[in-house]
Amino acid sequence: MMLSRVADHQYWMARQMERAENLARLVRVSEEMLLDDESLGRGTAQEYWTPVLAATAMEGAFRSLYPEPKLGDVASFLTLDLRNPDSILSCIRLARENARSVRDKISDEMWSEINALNLFVTSPEGLELLERFPQAYYEKIIASSMLFDGITDSTLTRDEGWNFLQLGRLLERADMTSRFLDIRSQTQTADGDSALESLQWGAVLRACSAHAGYRRVHGGEISVEGVVDLLLFSNEFPRSVRHCIRRADAVLHDISGTPTGRYSNSCEKITGALLARLSFAGPPEVMARGLHAYIDELQVQLNAAGQAVFENYVLLPGEVDRHFPRGTRPESLSDWQREQQQQ
Amino acid sequence: MILTDYKAANLFDELVDVAGKIRPYYRNIADKLSSLGNEELSQKLRSLELLFLKQGITFTVYGDEKGTERVFPFDPFPRVVPAGEWEHIEAGLVQRITALNLFLYDVYHEQRILKDGIIPPEVVFGASHYRPEFVGVSVPKDAYIHVCGTDLIRDRDGRYLVLEDNGRCPSGVSYVLENRAAMKRVFPQLFGASGVRPVDTYPADLLATLRHVAPRENPNPNVVLLTPGVHNSAYFEHSFLARQMSIEIVEGRDLIALDGFVYMRTTRGLRQVDVIYRRIDDDFLDPQVFRKDSCLGVPGLVDAVRRGNVALANAIGTGVADDKVTYAYVPDMIRYYLCQEPILDQVPTYLAWRDADKKYILENLPKLVVKAANESGGYGMLIGPAATAAQIEEFRQKVSHHPRNYIAQPVVNFSQHPTLVDGGLEGRHVDLRPFVLWGDTVKVLPGGLTRVALTRGSLVVNSSQGGGSKDTWVLAA
Repeated sequence: MMLSRVADHQYWMARQMERAENLARLVRVSEEMLLDDESLGRGTAQEYWTPVLAATAMEGAFRSLYPEPKLGDVASFLTLDLRNPDSILSCIRLARENARSVRDKISDEMWSEINALNLFVTSPEGLELLERFPQAYYEKIIASSMLFDGITDSTLTRDEGWNFLQLGRLLERADMTSRFLDIRSQTQTADGDSALESLQWGAVLRACSAHAGYRRVHGGEISVEGVVDLLLFSNEFPRSVRHCIRRADAVLHDISGTPTGRYSNSCEKITGALLARLSFAGPPEVMARGLHAYIDELQVQLNAAGQAVFENYVLLPGEVDRHFPRGTRPESLSDWQREQQQQ
Repeated sequence: MILTDYKAANLFDELVDVAGKIRPYYRNIADKLSSLGNEELSQKLRSLELLFLKQGITFTVYGDEKGTERVFPFDPFPRVVPAGEWEHIEAGLVQRITALNLFLYDVYHEQRILKDGIIPPEVVFGASHYRPEFVGVSVPKDAYIHVCGTDLIRDRDGRYLVLEDNGRCPSGVSYVLENRAAMKRVFPQLFGASGVRPVDTYPADLLATLRHVAPRENPNPNVVLLTPGVHNSAYFEHSFLARQMSIEIVEGRDLIALDGFVYMRTTRGLRQVDVIYRRIDDDFLDPQVFRKDSCLGVPGLVDAVRRGNVALANAIGTGVADDKVTYAYVPDMIRYYLCQEPILDQVPTYLAWRDADKKYILENLPKLVVKAANESGGYGMLIGPAATAAQIEEFRQKVSHHPRNYIAQPVVNFSQHPTLVDGGLEGRHVDLRPFVLWGDTVKVLPGGLTRVALTRGSLVVNSSQGGGSKDTWVLAA
């Protein structure tokens, strides 16, 4: 048993941290690829970034903030722009804010790490690194998130709070892995430039730290089917959608105490159904349906799972209608909190 | 660090006497500090600040657009209080909180002190934190102020004077504990055989104090800390204390009042709450009773308190006792309730609504400190000798038009303590805030928050106004 608000903060702390990490993975690999493209004179930077923005559902926000985009605008929009609620910086700030709200529930080391990352990303050293060695800057963010994960694993008591934290991380990871696949589903060339394709799918694998995992299972040849098989359906690869959902489903059952294979609430029903779907399908079904359409359906289910967690554990029955989406917390509440005099 | 260049100013200096000699109880620490090179000292200080920043030991500065978090500046030269002086302070504080709690019980019951003409009724009835709604309502163990932070300063002769009592939501105790932890970590060699009394029993003592007032003597009460939330300036302290006491830290939205009981919302449904250590003002506690627009409180909370189903620490309405006007009457309270003479002196106070006092204030503004009766944190305050003509004029208008809201005191050029400034030692004004717990017994934390005004000559020590802090060493013998 724990405070519902605390469960919510634990969930979002992990989820925002995972999102920041994955965005860093995305920008790092994209910039690297862009260098190749530019040197080969293929397409414009603009064309190159469009699918990235589309897959992360940020295209509209970008266009309204940057009506006449220049080179480098997308990277700054994704990295340090606080007007973008899903930029790396926004995610880190939110993760840290959530951690602050549960400061008494997490280990000192977890707090130190998340706090240090928050300080690093806008520190003079951090910004200099971003300017001169952007790859190293993004790698540092990725490493910090993984370190946070490791610290959590080795310092946090395995109670309900741990479960909500895992849930946030796993659902976000599943969501982001599916988005990485979606980027390439939008750039698949009609004329089938196979060299370019395997280069691009290689980048997706790199973004997911999946190169070695891929070679073990599918060898050196990179194919769409192979990548889809690993990132959506692998039971063993820790960033695959199926793996994440299997663990999330187990975590949910641990929280409620319901035996696996049965469900006691709507979130278990959603993850259970999703798991069954991922366990009894493979690349042929995806290709028949179309990669983009398949991923779209998957994401609808993932969103529904997150919403169901919120409705089952954070809200009291009858409060479902009163909930406002995350990130739109009314400003007035923080003003009230500030107003309280402390003698 | 070179101590030989240090000069005492024309006021009480904590380190050296009038002849410039180091006071005996400082000799030990002074010797050890002297043996540290300036280079080593600055390096340790930098690592300390980084440590605070990395650990997020910060407070929030308001008025700054988005409420930036800052590290509370820390000075490594500890303030030393010898055992004999502390005994005197402790006795004075125990006497004072006893009188204040008797006063609060009286004001919310028979009001004898008013009827007997010791305190004019308008002082109480006109205080903005007086809660007439609570007259006749009993609180567990008749305890009103469970946690008190009393500010002390020292005058030219080294006498400790009470500057004010903070009996609503006193803050700062987390810095007492964190400062000590930081000192041990960075300057372990300074402790040696210094005989410094430990401060780390505070969280356990606070928890015992809170459990003591559980409704119906519940032996296993659910105690929570109610915070305004992460955006509040003192949030670090709230979460620090909750963690140290292993209790839940809750916001208003985590609580719900049903049929006269208070519950917290958990992932397994509702769980009853027995004691609330609240760090929210009365005004914001319950929109059904106090400010209607408050979104920090819990509708129905006050009803549950009235029915005796949940206890609040501190109780509702304690603000009438730490009112800056009531302050002027505390010595009379001590004589009235305890038949004792006050052990600790306090600063002479002019009350603007007494015509003679008002006249004196208006004629002597440049020499006085003028304070709004119900503000804290150093806001709404005029320091005459340091003020511009325009500021003095502004306060002349305020005092003339709202005399009930203002009091004035002579400027006490309070004591200074050597403080590290730009690699050298300079005297800076300090005050002392000890913390008193009113539970089964009265406990005074042996130590307290020494706040230091980092700007040369400044008398304002508040963290919100550029103050810093020091570790405070109460010696065992």
